[in-house]
Amino acid sequence: MALRSVSRRLGSRILNHRSFVASLHSHATSFGFQEVKEEDKSKLVGNVFTNVASSYDIMNDVMSGGLHRLWKERLVGKLSPFAGMKHLDVAGGTGDVAFRIYDSIYSVKRRALQKVDEASLEETQIYVCDINPNMLNVGKQRAAERGLRDNKSLVWVEGNAEALSFDDNSMDGYTIAFGIRNVTHIEKALAEAYRVLKRGGRFLCLELSHVDIPIFKNLYDLYSFQVIPNLGELIAGDRESYQYLVESVRRFPPQEKFASMIADAGFEKVEYENLVGGVVAIHSGIKL
Amino acid sequence: MYRTAAKRLLGGGGAFTATRLLRFPKLRSTIIPSSYTSGLCTSSVGGNAESPMGGNQSVNPNQSDHTASSSSSTSTGEGPRRDESRKPRAEFQEEQARVLSASLRHVPRLGWTEEAMMAGSRDVGVSPSIVGSFSRKEAALVEFFMDECLQLLMDKIDSGLDLQNLIPSARIAKLIRIRLEMQVPYMSKWPQALSIQAHPLNVATSFKQRAMLVDEIWHAVGDGASDLDWYVKRTILGGVYSTTEIYMLTDDSLEHRDTWAFLDDRVKDAFDLKKSIQEARYFAQDIGAGVGKSVQGLMNGVMQTMSRRSGGTTF
Repeated sequence: MALRSVSRRLGSRILNHRSFVASLHSHATSFGFQEVKEEDKSKLVGNVFTNVASSYDIMNDVMSGGLHRLWKERLVGKLSPFAGMKHLDVAGGTGDVAFRIYDSIYSVKRRALQKVDEASLEETQIYVCDINPNMLNVGKQRAAERGLRDNKSLVWVEGNAEALSFDDNSMDGYTIAFGIRNVTHIEKALAEAYRVLKRGGRFLCLELSHVDIPIFKNLYDLYSFQVIPNLGELIAGDRESYQYLVESVRRFPPQEKFASMIADAGFEKVEYENLVGGVVAIHSGIKL
Repeated sequence: MYRTAAKRLLGGGGAFTATRLLRFPKLRSTIIPSSYTSGLCTSSVGGNAESPMGGNQSVNPNQSDHTASSSSSTSTGEGPRRDESRKPRAEFQEEQARVLSASLRHVPRLGWTEEAMMAGSRDVGVSPSIVGSFSRKEAALVEFFMDECLQLLMDKIDSGLDLQNLIPSARIAKLIRIRLEMQVPYMSKWPQALSIQAHPLNVATSFKQRAMLVDEIWHAVGDGASDLDWYVKRTILGGVYSTTEIYMLTDDSLEHRDTWAFLDDRVKDAFDLKKSIQEARYFAQDIGAGVGKSVQGLMNGVMQTMSRRSGGTTF
């Protein structure tokens, strides 16, 4: 039922925009189910995240029922951070993944169990890059709350995933959690990831993905299109942003297509792991 | 559902070039769809001749060397990635083998751990993050070592070991000795390796490796005239090997002399066992024959009596 209403809405949108699209001179890309000019997409995305920044974390918890924490734990587990690593977390504004990586490296238990060279511990650098300064501010605030305000290991950088300001072959790890679907040109972001990683460096992407299981898919669609925008209105006071969010998930390439895009960027051993039947997928690759 | 998805993929997207279309079928055939349960099933893209098993370490290093040589002959050096006929799996396996091989040097000091592997990766010139992608990390190192030792043993056998002049028990002892001597440099950390191999996740692979080792030794010994069956032979040899390996852990005699004496005793016991089983079998046959004869005699007697009683009619 939800699908039919969505497709009707989609159909009407396409009809409306056909004339609009014909008048575009530049390339068109998707903003949720809308077609927009490329230059506009980043601005529109920027607006979305400026709006949601303050309630981003709460909304994550509510929408995923707290599961997003487990997904991020799994991502960091897969990364296996080590002391002295240079890590880049892109689109990680509020710092969820970055804090987990930091904790994983500096945990006292781990240092006791493994012979960690204290000097290399000092060299650890975790860069958090986000295009939206509001998100970064939320992250810096959370860092301050944890007592990490002046910590040299965490570096907050404003930047664009398609044009990173980091040197070639400078990072041991690159993660992007729930960020790559907001990028206008995914291939560019992947190419930048490849450029920035050292030889042997790992690329990990946590993203909402496609569900194929028959009945579960319908339930998931129902939840996405009926429940989430209403939650967004209720909690964050912003239905449009969450409508965009849900639509952008559907427009994102499915697991295997995305995996082949990663392989095309040059990565080796490209794999993906579905969590919760495909609601979320972790793609990984290595630069060799 | 899948057909519509496929149509969407092939129809949509203006950036879909012809080259990608060509590559897709190959990728499709090697991509293993991940399990639908929220599990730890991964799937991989790329590779061709390699078996699409996610980073399986028990692949014989020999095999990976062959693919490495074939890939270097087809790809022209470090050409643009798109020209390579998609041999990413082989390159990763090769890189992994290189890192693990370099890590072995650090094992006596750091143990069979991630630290050793990270040190090894630094030696090769690769970022230590690659260690994070090895499946069952420490087990990968141990299994690599076991494969290497097996390969070394096979090479030694092929390059002419003087086995003809020895009796089977001496041949077995010699081969086991050669194999165990390869572990001597890592003896201080070998208990850790054994515990890693005994871990539930790793048991299957380590069992398979040991089975291959035992098989190889029996093959080299020449499967002498023995009427114990295949499984029993391998089980007994597996037992001899394991007990000697464990004995060696606590042996600090000069050049492990005590271990070799222990080994000789165990092999002798095994062969004695074989002899005693044979003797037991003959004994049982004799008894059976004796009993059978007496039973037969009894039955004959009974038959004759009955036929006499019933007035000469025979059945």
